[in-house]
Amino acid sequence: MKSDLKTLDELSRREFVASAAKACLGVGLLPMAGSYIHTPAHAFQPGPRPAKARHLIYLYMSAGMSHMDTFAPNTDADKDSYQGPVSPIATSADGVFLSENLPETAKHMHNAAIIRTMMTSQGAHAQGTYLMHTSYQMRGTISHPTFGSWIAKMSGPINSTIPMNIAINGRIGSSGFLESKYGPLPIGNPNAGLANSKAADYLDQTRFDGRLAMAQKMNASFLGTYDQKQVRAYTDLYNDAIKLMRSEDLKAFDVASEPDAMKDLYGRSAFGQGCLLARRLVENKVRYIEVNRGGWDTHSNNFESVANNCADLDKGLSALLLDLEMRGLLEDTMIVLVSEFGRTPRINGGNGRDHWPYGFSAFLAGGGVKGGTVYGKMDKVGRNPVDGKFIDPASLNATIGYNMGLPLSDVQYSPSGRPFKLAHDGEPLLDVLNT
Amino acid sequence: MMGVGRYIFLFFYFFNASALLAEEPFRTFTAVSGQSFTARVLSYEGQTFYLEGKDKKLYPVPYNQLTTNDQAYLREVSQQGKIPIGDPRKLASQDTMVDNSTPTASSPEPEVSMEEPVDGPRLMAPPKKKPALRPGSFFAYKSVNLGQDPNLALEMKSGGPPKPGEPIDFSNHVLPILEDRCFSCHQEAYEKNGKTIQPKAGLALSTYDLVMKGNLDNTVVTPGDVEDSYLHEVLTLDEDDDMFMPPKGGPLTTEQIDIIKRWIEEGAKPKAGGGGVTDASGGISFHDHIFPILEERCLDCHGEPYVKNGRTIHPKAGLALDTYEAVLKGNLDGAIIDRGDHEESTLYAVITLDPDDSEIMPPKGDPLSPEEIELFKKWIDEGAKEYPSDVFERPKEEKVAVSLTSVADSKIPLVDQLGKRLSKPSKTQIDVASKTGALVAPLSEKHSMIRAEFSSGPSLIDNSAVGALSSVQNNISHLDLSRTKVTDSVMGNVKKMKNLTWLALRNTEITNQGVKQLKGMQFLRYLNLSGTKVTDDIVKDLSQFKDIEEIYLWNSAVTDKGVESLQKALPNAKIVF
Repeated sequence: MKSDLKTLDELSRREFVASAAKACLGVGLLPMAGSYIHTPAHAFQPGPRPAKARHLIYLYMSAGMSHMDTFAPNTDADKDSYQGPVSPIATSADGVFLSENLPETAKHMHNAAIIRTMMTSQGAHAQGTYLMHTSYQMRGTISHPTFGSWIAKMSGPINSTIPMNIAINGRIGSSGFLESKYGPLPIGNPNAGLANSKAADYLDQTRFDGRLAMAQKMNASFLGTYDQKQVRAYTDLYNDAIKLMRSEDLKAFDVASEPDAMKDLYGRSAFGQGCLLARRLVENKVRYIEVNRGGWDTHSNNFESVANNCADLDKGLSALLLDLEMRGLLEDTMIVLVSEFGRTPRINGGNGRDHWPYGFSAFLAGGGVKGGTVYGKMDKVGRNPVDGKFIDPASLNATIGYNMGLPLSDVQYSPSGRPFKLAHDGEPLLDVLNT
Repeated sequence: MMGVGRYIFLFFYFFNASALLAEEPFRTFTAVSGQSFTARVLSYEGQTFYLEGKDKKLYPVPYNQLTTNDQAYLREVSQQGKIPIGDPRKLASQDTMVDNSTPTASSPEPEVSMEEPVDGPRLMAPPKKKPALRPGSFFAYKSVNLGQDPNLALEMKSGGPPKPGEPIDFSNHVLPILEDRCFSCHQEAYEKNGKTIQPKAGLALSTYDLVMKGNLDNTVVTPGDVEDSYLHEVLTLDEDDDMFMPPKGGPLTTEQIDIIKRWIEEGAKPKAGGGGVTDASGGISFHDHIFPILEERCLDCHGEPYVKNGRTIHPKAGLALDTYEAVLKGNLDGAIIDRGDHEESTLYAVITLDPDDSEIMPPKGDPLSPEEIELFKKWIDEGAKEYPSDVFERPKEEKVAVSLTSVADSKIPLVDQLGKRLSKPSKTQIDVASKTGALVAPLSEKHSMIRAEFSSGPSLIDNSAVGALSSVQNNISHLDLSRTKVTDSVMGNVKKMKNLTWLALRNTEITNQGVKQLKGMQFLRYLNLSGTKVTDDIVKDLSQFKDIEEIYLWNSAVTDKGVESLQKALPNAKIVF
């Protein structure tokens, strides 16, 4: 809402032309995607280090996932008032235990690492989510780019036809002060694919080409008079959008073409199908895919809700890990599952758990991740680490950025000239990576 | 009879020796008192040189009575072993036993005066013994500034033993040992009771310069080479050995010897910013030319971490420039110096940006002067040496194939090892290779190995597109042909990529025939054949890849049985099916 308000007063020329094209050409012309596709001027840039993983699937557990009932069962804690009825189960990695809510994911633990001492300074949903996504605290004066936008900006596309930053099941954050083409392209419903990417039924190829030719004719004299980079960029914008409309890469968004068995493997939930779409996009070399899953705000009736959520989560996540591995894509793809904060180790009066910013968990898997690792251990009451140090969101993002070979110390300047970095001042946690 | 034989042997020995040691030419020597005379040098012993005048007379002359020019000349001839050691009269006496000729005139006084030297050694008092303080004495405490971590500050102050992994500092770690155990004999010349006391063996160890200079026989420290460093050797000799040092007071402790050893191994550096040789003839060096600039302009932000108001202040961008190692190391984003190539060096790039550029370094104050920038440029191009004497050779260019034996170090990733042996492909080469729709990019900014992939619209890609990669074929380590329309005949081109480590043929029409052609690709570590038409017949061929790490056969026609026998042949490989 915030960013929507901001954009109300300043419709950029680029957006204006895009809207104009939409009206003139009678096609949707990817009202969203058009502005997300890179222009030829922005090509793939190799990072300072060879990338251990080139794609990131960021599974975001919105509203505060209870870490004790998922990735960090605490066997030391008192069962009645802390751990509750959820018991730990062994995993494919020696000595690593997950909660019984994640039996399928447990089979992939040898490919994954868990950080159990995450800590955030924000105990409210919006602020915590913002911090986790941007590495910076929410401020009234500036909108920070999300981590996916940073990746898009710093390393560019591998596939030059599809946008590089895609958010499934709802968009969180924006490209902030970076160019809007780096921001997340939202896919509201994974089964519906990319909205407005098809020409209208009545518009056949000849008529479409005719309209395009007319548009070009009308533009020609202007282009001739003002042959400038910015003006040419508008032409590129049309061309890119049309390229995607006609490209076979558009099929990447078509989850419906997957066999039923595959859809069932991921689970027919929005999250499961989102993971399936994420896998398809990784096959098509999209850099950053975020799959959002809400419903974790379990202030009351925690154990039932978490078990329900975990059914979806476990199915989707384990299918994703399995599918990527079978296709040989897992070693190129990093999967991160995290939430804005954890939930109180102590069970509250309503059999629920409240917000808890100390010692929650982040799950990392895939390329470059040191499989079967657990970093950090919290004390009985889940307040302080007894092993390892607290890891803040910026450091988690730095860890991901390091693994993906991104430039951590490159500075980008906001319009007002203030310096910002990919992962703020975060330091990569090399304990969970194969270095 | 035996005696005669020995004389003859001696004769030959001496004859041979004099033949090897060609006589030095006559030249004019000048004493510090101003007198000069023509002579040639015959030999030396300790600090005394034996000069032979035109009148065939022998003059023993103390080294420090001569001008610096003469000293340099004598140092050179003696260090190069051009003149023998010892009194020529004694050397000659061996001679006399054979030919019985009369010895040369008996010890004439040299004409040069033995008076007080004008340009002589720095005179200083003999080292004072440290006062022995009662344990716990007030005076044994050291003062520490407020706001500092007392332990840290104390360590820095007292120059205590180096922590494991801490680089050895000459002044803090080495000098105290020398001071304690060596100075009593190897101190710079000093006055005592009207006599000048010279350091024993002409070797003074009281400053960094003197240690590095060595004595007339040779240098005693070879940076980086413990074996070749006499200073270390004499400390580790057998205690009964004549040359064992120190001769009195027992040997150094193993820790002390270790400190000296490490100091030499780390390049025998002086304390940062002090001491050292400032001769520019050996080229630009970090120590002499670059560090002073860094210290003045960069270390405010890029120094070592320090504590301020209870907070640790880290160097900006995680980049420290306070030591040579730190500069070479760069930060998490990689090296900032490409030895031998200033254009590839980030350090050079940021100091030469437009002054209005927000990235220019240093961000405050004037930009570096053109002279300073030129120093950086030359320094990098000369190989970014730490000392003038360091030798840097650029790696040899372009070797097409690497033998398996030369890739032995398993700690360094294979692609990095391969990359080091190849030069970076030019932009033109990459542009040519990219023409057919491939994304061709180095693995990282400065890597010479390349990943080639067909990500956008793979169905338009056929065999010919792979042929276009030939301009960079030796540099390709990763090739992704997934979902393209390539057929078996593409393998002819793939096979030419000798350094290929990673090959994805997922969802292509490739069959056994194609995969068979990969035979002999010794660096292949990852092979993705999922969704291809390969069958059990390929197992035999795949079994030949003894070093392969991952094979993907999911969705292919290979059966469980085939995979089983493949796994048996390649027990260490990860086979996914």
